[in-house]
Formats: sequence, C-alpha cells, structure tokens
Amino acid sequence: MLHTNNKIEYNPENCVGCQLCYKACFIDVIRWDAEKKQPIFKYVDECAHCRYCQAMCKKGCINVIIDYSAQSWRQSFDMYR
Amino acid sequence: MGQEFKEVRESADILIVGGGIAGLVAAVSAKEKNPDASVIVVEKQVCGYGGKANKGGGVLQYFDLEHMKPEDFVEYHAHAVGCYLGDQETMKKYVAMNNEMIDRLEGWGVVIPKVKMPTGPMTFMFGIDLDSCIKMTAQCRKNGVKLFDKVTVSDLLTDNGKIAGAVGYSLLDGTFYVFQAKAVMLATGSQNYRVSEMWSNGRGDGIAAAYRAGAEMRNAEFGNFGQLFQKESFHECVFGENNMYNKLGENVTKNFRRFSESDISATAIREWYEQMSEGKGPIYLHIPKRGGAGGGGPMGDARPYGQAFWSLQNLGEEEMDQENEVVPGLVGEQSPIRVDGDMAASIPGLFAAGDSCYCGSGAPGAVPAPPGRNRGSGILNAVFAGIVGGESMAEFVKTAADVNVCEEQVAKLKADAYQPLNLEEGVTAVDVIDIVQEIMCPCENSIIMSQHRLDICLRKLEKAKALLGKIKANDFHEMLGAHEAEAMVLSCEMHLKAASMRHESRGWFLREDFPLMDNENWLKWIIVKNVDGEMTLTTEDVPIDKYPVKPLGPHS
Ligand SMILES: Cc1cc2nc3c(=O)[nH]c(=O)nc-3n(C[C@H](O)[C@H](O)[C@H](O)COP(=O)(O)OP(=O)(O)OC[C@H]3O[C@@H](n4cnc5c(N)ncnc54)[C@H](O)[C@@H]3O)c2cc1C
Ligand code: SF4
Ligand code: SF4
Repeated sequence: MLHTNNKIEYNPENCVGCQLCYKACFIDVIRWDAEKKQPIFKYVDECAHCRYCQAMCKKGCINVIIDYSAQSWRQSFDMYR
Repeated sequence: MGQEFKEVRESADILIVGGGIAGLVAAVSAKEKNPDASVIVVEKQVCGYGGKANKGGGVLQYFDLEHMKPEDFVEYHAHAVGCYLGDQETMKKYVAMNNEMIDRLEGWGVVIPKVKMPTGPMTFMFGIDLDSCIKMTAQCRKNGVKLFDKVTVSDLLTDNGKIAGAVGYSLLDGTFYVFQAKAVMLATGSQNYRVSEMWSNGRGDGIAAAYRAGAEMRNAEFGNFGQLFQKESFHECVFGENNMYNKLGENVTKNFRRFSESDISATAIREWYEQMSEGKGPIYLHIPKRGGAGGGGPMGDARPYGQAFWSLQNLGEEEMDQENEVVPGLVGEQSPIRVDGDMAASIPGLFAAGDSCYCGSGAPGAVPAPPGRNRGSGILNAVFAGIVGGESMAEFVKTAADVNVCEEQVAKLKADAYQPLNLEEGVTAVDVIDIVQEIMCPCENSIIMSQHRLDICLRKLEKAKALLGKIKANDFHEMLGAHEAEAMVLSCEMHLKAASMRHESRGWFLREDFPLMDNENWLKWIIVKNVDGEMTLTTEDVPIDKYPVKPLGPHS
C-alpha cells in the first residue's frame, strides 16, 4: 500500500499508556512518547489500515479512518471496460 | 561517515532474525533441545506483535492421521498442487509431524480450538487464536531467550565461508549492533512488495541479506501469489474463485475448474484477465456473503483475542461491495532462501525458517507459498520449519568451531547500512517501490507471463536499479525503508529472470508462450545466486527418481 491517505483519530482522554497500540503496529507507523506516555502516530502516510492497533486498544482511543479511494492495486481495471 | 552512532556488541551461540511465529518457535525449540546454548532473537518490530500470524484467518491445517497416511497427502499434493516440482520427502515429514506440532503449540500455551472443518481433499482446519506469538514470546522469556525489539538486521557476517553473525541497527535511535553467533537463522518472512495491506510487512530484507552473503535461492519464480479482492473495499475473497460470473451473467468458473479444487489457482486469475480482455468483464461473485476464514463461524467465540480484530474488518465495507465486483490483487509471497530438510541454507551456519524459505525448501513445489493453495498451511509450515531448524541449530552449535568477527567486514557493512542517511539529496524509497509495483502488480506481467512482457519488465526494472544507492533517508525508519526498497528490486529481478528461464507452464506458473507442462526438460529447480556481484541462474534436476510420486506423462 503506497500513496494511501488513511487517517488515525486518537483520543487521549481514556488512554492509560499501556503501549499496546505502539507494539501492535507491524510496520513502525506508531512510536512511543515516553514522557507523555502516549502513542505518536509518526508515519501515518504508510499506514496499511490493518486496524490491529485499534483492535488492541481496550479503551477505544483509536479509530483508523480508511480512504478507500486512495488505495490501488496498480492494475488498470478500467482499460478493459 | 557524518554522524557517529553508539555501538553494541552481543554474542550468542544462536542468533535468530525475525520474531514472528517461525523465529519464536525456533528459539524455544533450540532451547528445549540444548538448554546450554545461548539464543538471541532480533525483531525489527515487537516480538509477539510483529509478523503475520496475529493478523490472519486464525486457522490451522489439520490432517486426520488416524484415517490417512502422510503418503496419501504427498501423492495428492504432487499431482494436484506441487506438479512434481516439490521435495516430497520434506512434504511427508511436514504432514507426519502435524499432530505433534499442534500438541507442542498447546504445550507452549497457544489456544487451538479443535473444531474440525473440511477444506479440501484430505485436509481439515482447526482454529488458532491470534495471540499465538504473544504466547510464544512469553515461552521464549521463560526459557532464557534474549529478545531485542525494534532492531533490524541489515547484513550477515561471514568468516572463511561460514556464518559468523549479523549486523543491524535500532530503528529508534540508530544504535549499531554487531551480533557474533555460530548459527544464524533468517526467520524474516517473505517478499510481498508492500502491496496488500495485511501482507505489507513482508519486505524481503532478510532474503536480500542472504543473497548478498552468497546463499542460494530456489523457486524465486514462484513469488507471484495473487487472489481475488473486492474492487471497492479491497477485502480478500477467499474461495471466491468458485463463483465467478461475467457481465453477461455467465458462470466463468466452469471455464477453468470442473471439480472442486483446493483454493485459488493462477487459472482463476487468467480467466479474469481473459474475460476482461474480451470485453466481457467486470467479473462479479454470486455469493450472498463474502467468504473468509476469520471470525465467528462454527468456532463461535473460541478465539476471543482474534475476535477483537476480526470484528473491525467489516466496518461498512459490505455496503461498499454491494456489486460484488472482484479484481485480482498481487500478494507476492516470494520465499526463496534455499534450505535442506534440516532447514540449513547453502552457507555453513546459516539456517532459515517460515515464509523466508517456504518455496526455497522445495516442499510446496510449483506454487507460491504460503498458503500454497492450502489455507492454514502458513502457520504450521512456519512452526514445522521452526522446530526442525531450531533443533538442527541446537545440534550444530554443539560441535561448531568458534567464529571470528572480521572488523573490516563490520566497518564496510556499517557504512552500507547508514549510506542512505549520509546523502545530501536523493530519491525516496517510494520512488523505487513505485517502479517495482508497476512491474509486479498487473497480473499480465507477473502471473500470466510471456517473454515479450517479461523483457519489457526487465527493461523497466533497469530504471529502479539505476536508483539504487541514491535513496536518501532522513531518519532510521526511512533508512530501513531504503533497504527494503532495495530488497524489492532484488526480489523482482530474481522473479523476472527465473520466470524468463522457465520455458513451460507448471502449477501456479503460467506462460502464454509455453502453455504446457514440460516434464522432459523442466523437472528442474532454478537456482539463483550472487557470484561476485553478478546474479547467476543455473538449473538442478528434481530428483524425481527417488520420490514415490512421478509425472503421469510428458505434459501432465
Ligand atoms: C491476512 C493473512 C491471513 C493469514 N491467514 C492464515 C491462516 O489462517 N492460517 C495460517 O496457517 N496462515 C495464515 N497466514 C500465513 C501465516 O500468517 C504466515 O505464513 C506465518 O505467520 C509466517 O510466519 P513467519 O514467522 O515465517 O513470518 P512473519 O510472520 O512475516 O515474521 C517475520 C518477522 O521477521 C521480522 N523481520 C523481517 N525482516 C527483519 C530484519 N531484517 N531484522 C529483524 N526482523 C525482521 C518481521 O518484522 C516479522 O515480525 C495468513 C497471513 C496473512 C497475511
Ligand atoms: S492501546 Fe489505547 S490505551 Fe493503550 S496506549 Fe494505546 S491508545 Fe493508550
Ligand atoms: S492500522 Fe495497522 S498499519 Fe495502520 S497504524 Fe494501526 S497497526 Fe499500524
């Protein structure tokens, strides 16, 4: 997934600093702010929208918003129509 | 070098690169076999959470060995899936170990609901919860395995033709690591070219490190797995190929499939391509609900950890996919590091396990793997290779001589690793991956091949090769991105060159210009190797005489 345009909403209100979202990201989109004890969504433009971070957050702080129109299989489906 | 980085030196008997299910199982198995051996696992993300086993369908291949023999499956598989290109001995060993593997996983704390669901001739599925790697990480700690997270291995160290360890760096602060070890295992996963979402951690940098060190690759041309996805949401349609219809309302599945088959085949993707080319597309699925292994079903809530994940996979997507139009998407799954039945690679002291070497092990034959047309075989193959490879390493280090780290080599590999950070200007990793994806993604390039198109792709790849060494990184995350992009160029080149060499069609491998299987000339493995910086390709006969299952005729 290149050139994606997904967004991640993070609501710190209920965040307990458990680090699970940071650990969950399998491609290093999320980093950890040790001072604030909060996740940093540092490389969001690489987010592959697997939603594993969202699934891990038991406090409902994370919402991955997928831009379906930005993803591409790089296959020109329309040229065949 | 502009900036100086902290350097850490570590040494152990066994170094395992990659803390996915294969690496973690290997670490525990090595420790159980030889508790005196020191074992390190280095993972570029976080052990327990990285890798693929925690994002999957949560199913395990199960063989009912009370009612069938491993030989039966080997015979079925050789005829129907592997098409005589498989190492039948390794496949038999895998099937024979099935029940033992499931018992051992349970012993290590992994949750396996034993609800038996049929998946194909002779195979069933059990469930497995998605926290298997968390359980295995805890087991590693219990057994005294030392774990490093957010450290990526960039290259292997050698000592007089043997493996001597590996070097890498921290993604967080750039600390340089030198690991000295008598045995190194690459459990780094497959090459998926950053295309499909759930597979996008498979970036081939372990494969590239093995190649650079001179390890042999096998079956690199079988790294072109693709399957059907919903056009709008990109949701994967497992088993959708059984219900394909064109815009005229004709069932097109019957054009390529007369009997029920085990899973998606390249012929399903060819059918999509041909229908579209003839103007009879789009292709729709006639199924009320989308297919897919994850969540719910007969297993109910028996996999609670996974349920939290699966419940998020369908948010509003089903509405987007009302039309049920499907398109093929590239998954990739190149897994070419050559290993023998003990998971030893071609360099003494180097081992591999799991998705990094599934096709390289020869076991699956003429099919990209995993799943290799058998859903639920990915995790268990990683477990199989982890147990076998972990135990082989445990034995190997008992008698292996001490190894020396060559400081000159360390300095060179360090300079190579940090090179993208030292450029004043350059291109991005994405600039390079863009070119690779434009080559690999269209199914008419990578799945339904012809020499004409392969030549065009090879010429286009030169553009990506010209950018190697010019990728600029601004931090350590981007530095890894640069190394991964280089690995993708390498994997693509191996695929195109090996595919150009194989003048036949066999199993998953389809060439328009050579449509028949050719058992007279092509019962051969293609071996790719780096010889003094040149990519060389040679062939090796499949030892079909010693295998029980043989081709039925010259073309079948
Ligand atoms: C969506 C999806 C569904 C699936 N469903 C199923 C299923 O239901 N059943 C089944 O059996 N299989 C399934 N599979 C396949 C299965 O998950 C994989 O075959 C298996 O998990 C592979 O394990 P592995 O350890 O070999 O590789 P990975 O899980 O890819 O692990 C490799 C690890 O190595 C790390 N790494 C890579 N390079 C480096 C480096 N240079 N330095 C340090 N670390 C590195 C990675 O971060 C990663 O954690 C599925 C896969 C996907 C993606
Ligand atoms: S998982 Fe949720 S609660 Fe835990 S650190 Fe992340 S956002 Fe906070
Ligand atoms: S959705 Fe997946 S890829 Fe995106 S930040 Fe979360 S874990 Fe990472």
